[in-house]
Amino acid sequence: MSIIRTVDICKSFTTVEAVKNVSLSVDQGEVVAVIGPSGSGKSTFLRCINGLETITDGEIYIDEELFEKRVKGHPHVRMTKERRAEILIKTGMVFQRFNLFPHKTAKENIMLAPINVKKKKEQEAAAQAEELLVRVGLADKFDEYPARLSGGQQQRVAIARALAMEPEIMLFDEPTSALDPELVEDVLRVMIGLAKSGMTMLVVTHEMGFAREAADRVVFMADGEIGEVGPPEEFFTNPRNPRAQQFMKSILHQ
Amino acid sequence: MPALIKATGVTMELTVTSVLTAVGLGIFLALARISKNPFLSKPATAYIFFFRGSPLLIQLYFVYYGLPLIFPALNISSKFLAAYIAFSLNIAAYLAEIIRAAIQSIDKGQMEAGRSLGLSYGQCMSLVVIPQSYRRMIPPVCNEFLMVLKDTSLVSIIALTDLTFQTKMIASNKASALVYIPSLAIYLVLTAIFTIIFNRLEKKFSEYE
Ligand SMILES: Nc1ncnc2c1ncn2[C@@H]1O[C@H](COP(=O)(O)OP(=O)(O)OP(=O)(O)O)[C@@H](O)[C@H]1O
Ligand SMILES: [Mg+2]
Repeated sequence: MSIIRTVDICKSFTTVEAVKNVSLSVDQGEVVAVIGPSGSGKSTFLRCINGLETITDGEIYIDEELFEKRVKGHPHVRMTKERRAEILIKTGMVFQRFNLFPHKTAKENIMLAPINVKKKKEQEAAAQAEELLVRVGLADKFDEYPARLSGGQQQRVAIARALAMEPEIMLFDEPTSALDPELVEDVLRVMIGLAKSGMTMLVVTHEMGFAREAADRVVFMADGEIGEVGPPEEFFTNPRNPRAQQFMKSILHQ
Repeated sequence: MPALIKATGVTMELTVTSVLTAVGLGIFLALARISKNPFLSKPATAYIFFFRGSPLLIQLYFVYYGLPLIFPALNISSKFLAAYIAFSLNIAAYLAEIIRAAIQSIDKGQMEAGRSLGLSYGQCMSLVVIPQSYRRMIPPVCNEFLMVLKDTSLVSIIALTDLTFQTKMIASNKASALVYIPSLAIYLVLTAIFTIIFNRLEKKFSEYE
């Protein structure tokens, strides 16, 4: 069963078409890596799935339920606010720049949404937050403010914060590209652990090592379109799309 | 001297109550102004334009003398109440702009992170964005507060006995013209005290950095 299914979605900004007719479905338990050159629409694609951008054409299904539908020249089909919120909770998002709440400690960052959205009891939320922090390797940082944490630690808190809402799929937008090289490993280890535990993941990344090790499929995007989809082994050893070949070459030469 | 102290109480009470009221009203106005709903943003913009675009003195006259003429039911018999209303409404317009700037200076990623966790727009504002903007509001609010402390002297025109009005009354008797000196001193001491309070507040709200 697919957790996410997009059908020919498009997103245009005033001057650019950032996403063009992208159709992709991600099955339960699957890990999909999205790669591609800068400006190819990877972030915009994720943001559409997560409701942070409104699509200009196409359909998005989350858990096989219609989330948003738009056909050019027809009225925009959007769920009621409440329904939309219910469906959206099924997706968790991790941002490139962490976006932790600076005025809250690591634990409070994680507890905020369970308490205010799921109406969990404070004690229960706290216990869950501690458990998640232990899981991402931050057992000693419960009461630390984000400003006192390294980038890698902040990103792991951000992952725990998204997990606290018990999403069906985790979306990652270049989770390690704002990090110093020596901190990347800790975050990737948490992500690989998550993938092995059966979490469904859609990950925009430049970490080819991660894509090779953890991804079931690699999606290559260029100019807002999907250029190629395939298993990592096949894609990395023998990309067929000329843009993908060029992209792989440029990465190897770095 | 006891008369001066009593008048100081009036000045302080008026300043503190109207600034506090104005902060509440100002947050509401700021949120209305940045709202995408024109039924909220347009009236808020008009309100701010009106109160910033006309003299406080006339607004004060209007609340005290004008309103009862139009709506006899609104006969504001208490001078203090009239001054409190006029000041609160006026200061709110200035604070609304300060608060709006502070709210809009918070990184957009904060709202996005909140929304992606399932929090509503209102929850994101009240739990995530506004608490972070307090620290940025405090210096300009302090500035505004100190201006108000001195602007309250305008109330002498409706004969409300604040510190300035009392000073003038005492000074009209030639023998006690030196009353200006303690009066100035009181204003300075008040300014010093409130500057310290605001500095403390700012520290408290930046503890997490
Ligand atoms: N809010 C926006 N307004 C206007 N144009 C935008 C906006 N967001 C993205 N774009 C444009 O859409 C295109 C795709 O951008 P996007 O950020 O999705 O690319 P990306 O693949 O994530 O790139 P990168 O690897 O640099 O993060 C770019 O041309 C970008 O300039
Ligand atoms: Mg991007």
